[in-house]
Amino acid sequence: MADSLLSVNDLCVRFPTDRGVVQAVNGVSFELEQGQTLGIVGESGSGKSVTAKTLMNLLPRSAEVDGSVVFDGRDVTELARRGESHFWGVQMTMVFQDPMTSLNPVKRCGEQIAETLRYHLGHNRKTAIAESIDLLEQVGIPEPAKRARQYPHELSGGLRQRVVIAMALACQPRLLIADEPTTAVDVTVQKLLLDLLDKLRRDRGMSMILITHDLGVARGRCDDISVMYAGRIVERSDAETLFTDSRHPYTNALLRSIPRIDQPSHTRLDPIPGRPPEQIDPPEQCSFAPRCRYAQPDCMSAVPELGGLMGLHSFACHHPSNTPRGEQALAANLEAGQTAAGLHIHPIEEAAH
Amino acid sequence: MAGTGKAPLRDRPDVLLSVEELTVEFPVGRHEVVHAVSGISFDVAEGETLGIVGESGCGKSTVARSIIRLNEIRGGKVVFEGNDLATLKGEALRQHRPNLQMIFQDPISSLNPRRKVRDVISEGVRVWGGGKGAWSQGRIDELMHAVGVDPKFGDRRPHQFSGGQCQRIGIARALAMDPKVLICDEPVSALDVSVQAQVLNLLEDMKKRYGLTLLFISHDLSVVKNVSDRIIVMYLGKACEIGSADELYEHPRHPYTRALLASIPEPATTVDVSEGNIDGELPSPINPPTGCRFNTRCPHADEICFEVEPQMEAVGDDHFIACHHPVAVSISA
Amino acid sequence: MGDDNFPNVEVAMEDVLDPTPDDAVKRKLGVGFWIAIGWLALITLLAILAPILPIDGQNVTGAGGRLDGPSMSHLFGTDANGRDVFARTIWGARVSLSVGFIAIVAGMGIGGPLGIISGYFRGKIDAVISFVFVSLLSFPSLVLALLIVNSLDRSLKVVAMVLGILAIAPIGRLARANTIVFAEREFVQAARVIGAKDVRIMVRELLPNVLIPMGALALLGVAVAIVAEGGLAFLGLSVKEGATWGKMILAGSDARTLRTGTHVAMAPIGVMFLTVLALNYAGDRVRSYFDVRETAF
Repeated sequence: MADSLLSVNDLCVRFPTDRGVVQAVNGVSFELEQGQTLGIVGESGSGKSVTAKTLMNLLPRSAEVDGSVVFDGRDVTELARRGESHFWGVQMTMVFQDPMTSLNPVKRCGEQIAETLRYHLGHNRKTAIAESIDLLEQVGIPEPAKRARQYPHELSGGLRQRVVIAMALACQPRLLIADEPTTAVDVTVQKLLLDLLDKLRRDRGMSMILITHDLGVARGRCDDISVMYAGRIVERSDAETLFTDSRHPYTNALLRSIPRIDQPSHTRLDPIPGRPPEQIDPPEQCSFAPRCRYAQPDCMSAVPELGGLMGLHSFACHHPSNTPRGEQALAANLEAGQTAAGLHIHPIEEAAH
Repeated sequence: MAGTGKAPLRDRPDVLLSVEELTVEFPVGRHEVVHAVSGISFDVAEGETLGIVGESGCGKSTVARSIIRLNEIRGGKVVFEGNDLATLKGEALRQHRPNLQMIFQDPISSLNPRRKVRDVISEGVRVWGGGKGAWSQGRIDELMHAVGVDPKFGDRRPHQFSGGQCQRIGIARALAMDPKVLICDEPVSALDVSVQAQVLNLLEDMKKRYGLTLLFISHDLSVVKNVSDRIIVMYLGKACEIGSADELYEHPRHPYTRALLASIPEPATTVDVSEGNIDGELPSPINPPTGCRFNTRCPHADEICFEVEPQMEAVGDDHFIACHHPVAVSISA
Repeated sequence: MGDDNFPNVEVAMEDVLDPTPDDAVKRKLGVGFWIAIGWLALITLLAILAPILPIDGQNVTGAGGRLDGPSMSHLFGTDANGRDVFARTIWGARVSLSVGFIAIVAGMGIGGPLGIISGYFRGKIDAVISFVFVSLLSFPSLVLALLIVNSLDRSLKVVAMVLGILAIAPIGRLARANTIVFAEREFVQAARVIGAKDVRIMVRELLPNVLIPMGALALLGVAVAIVAEGGLAFLGLSVKEGATWGKMILAGSDARTLRTGTHVAMAPIGVMFLTVLALNYAGDRVRSYFDVRETAF
């Protein structure tokens, strides 16, 4: 697409470890248009954070990266090789989960923002400080001039994260990557922060990648959502479709395993058995197959490609749920009493309440 | 919001544990104290699951740890089977330990990395004599089966298990004591989303199988609702609202409860959250606001809220709130 | 279940609940570690077997000429008194290693429990014990050694005791620091909730965790004690009877001997260097081997 701001193509990231090579990201591709928000949802180890770190050029040297990342027509891996220093932090910035790790504990908040402005944009000290106070005000910090003179430990978690957001916005980035930006804060603060990010993004026409483990956070905050599992994108669609008409059994199972506030108490949950796989020498099969109730012999022998009915909604599954093919697979497994991966399943008459 | 007042205490014969005006304070620095829990009263009936929900710093974990006496208690009573645990010390306290067990938040941190999981589970049996006989080994195997960890892996050490499995082992360790009350302090918040439901279902199964009474602490409103019969909403060391799970979520009367429910990323349409946002930050528990502790953030706060601490009062059948200006129940079709 | 049209299916959980395979988490100590251990074993064995080895007694003079260089009959040559340096290095190992090990065993035996008690109970007990540790650390160690050795005697026991006392504080403080870290872990609280008594918690839950960093430090400590013995020898404060590495280096390092018979000092220096190196390396490997073995990932 001509108008896409970021285009990631077949990204693979491997980490050599004592126990073997970890396939952290395994062929991830996506496009992000100017002004859009992409949600990347996944559990720990799904590769969502590694993807973000790859975009931000923050991977350790030992990591092996393949594939291409193109930002506004520029090859990002090439920029990294050249040691370009005014790209990350200017065009593309990131907000991390724990604000304390991104703030320097011995520097005043205002100075930290000012430093970014001076380094990247060459502001002088005075204008940089003035602008940093302005930025603090934009992220909704009361008494910005006073807060600018305070140290990070003097602020609450919510305010700290706002300082980090202000710092990320300092150089008018075109893409903001927010990696679990609200995991370290409480629900009431979480809502305020997410609303703030939303507003800032709209006001500035910025693009955003919101990385989270919480499907609820992604819903309503993102235009598109990609669900990652074991280093791959397993399902991608616009936000609403994902929640109402998900096709990948993982997305489906995840949605059904989470307790919902509109269910009466003691509603029996429908959990996903097992745990996410390790990504050392993954076998040539669908990585969700061992936990999947639809698994058929072909799931055990071939990795499904990301594809689908139309371009907007795609999923990587041989027997997608909510399709005749999926229903057949489930019916066959129920009859056999087990899936192709050997998972025992049987129907229950009614949900235990 | 003052949880002061014993109104929520029920006069029922099957009350197993009752906490009366519990107060916990931690000294910080020279002359300051953190008012972690300030005069909270509630009770738990046998076989019931009581959920405690609130944001970090509200004192919910401190309540749990005080009941199980991992904290010093400043004032109030913790009455279990006619004994006030708050005043017990040393050996007398130790004798009561097996009755109340706990599941911790971090499943990996809660298991000794140097011990085999079988030893971790059977430690309690050995502390109280026994453990050598075939009876105990059989019982440990049965427990491991019950929580879904194959006994043949009993000789493995905790680092070889995933977080979810470690939490199962922690549950087996608690069950080995044959407890009456099981206190679960954020038992699923450290687990992967896809594993949480497994552990929540397991807790429900174990509760039925072993006739447990549960105290379930979590910051996650949906999780608390799923497991609880009755729920306490806490804010800054006080209780604001107590009620049955379904009633509390459908007709929240306290402004804070409403704000909490409205903050859930994806509020459900069946829940009345007409109150909207609350702004501002949590005040310091070192110097909590006088009057109602929620007055700095409450949209309804007026003069009285800054002067008089509201008392716990019944607003319905087994529904109590501490608020001068309770939100009216909207009558919807 | 809500709005989806899913048939209710129960899935057997236990099918997929296997732990990480055992072999997947094996780590290696490495060849270097085993070379180091081999060297230490060799030295220890030689030291123990010295009386029955076909070597000269440590004070047999006239085994060869004075300050002869290394040869087939005298592997490390002879010293200024014509004694066989190889034989004396082995005899010296007996004293040097004993001093090292006794000192560290004493340090661990006293410092370890004190540190664990201090870190577990905190409060007043901790204040008192920590004060003792700090006092021991701030007392000039050389002065302490001088005082004790001079007021008692220069026997192996006293020298080892001096070094042992000096080892109490560093080992104790390490044990205390580690205990504090582990005592906050939830498994210690879990043990208390189960009803385990304090002593049981310290022995069963804390000790196994504290022992490994302590053991790693002890290996380094043996090395430090061996070097310290050398230092004491230069002050004339080492063990009076028999050869020690420190005394041999001292004897070999006067100007004349150093000029004509470098081997007299170099032999014990070399052996001491390799031993200290081996101890340090082994200690390091042990620590990193047991480190972070907490999760499967």
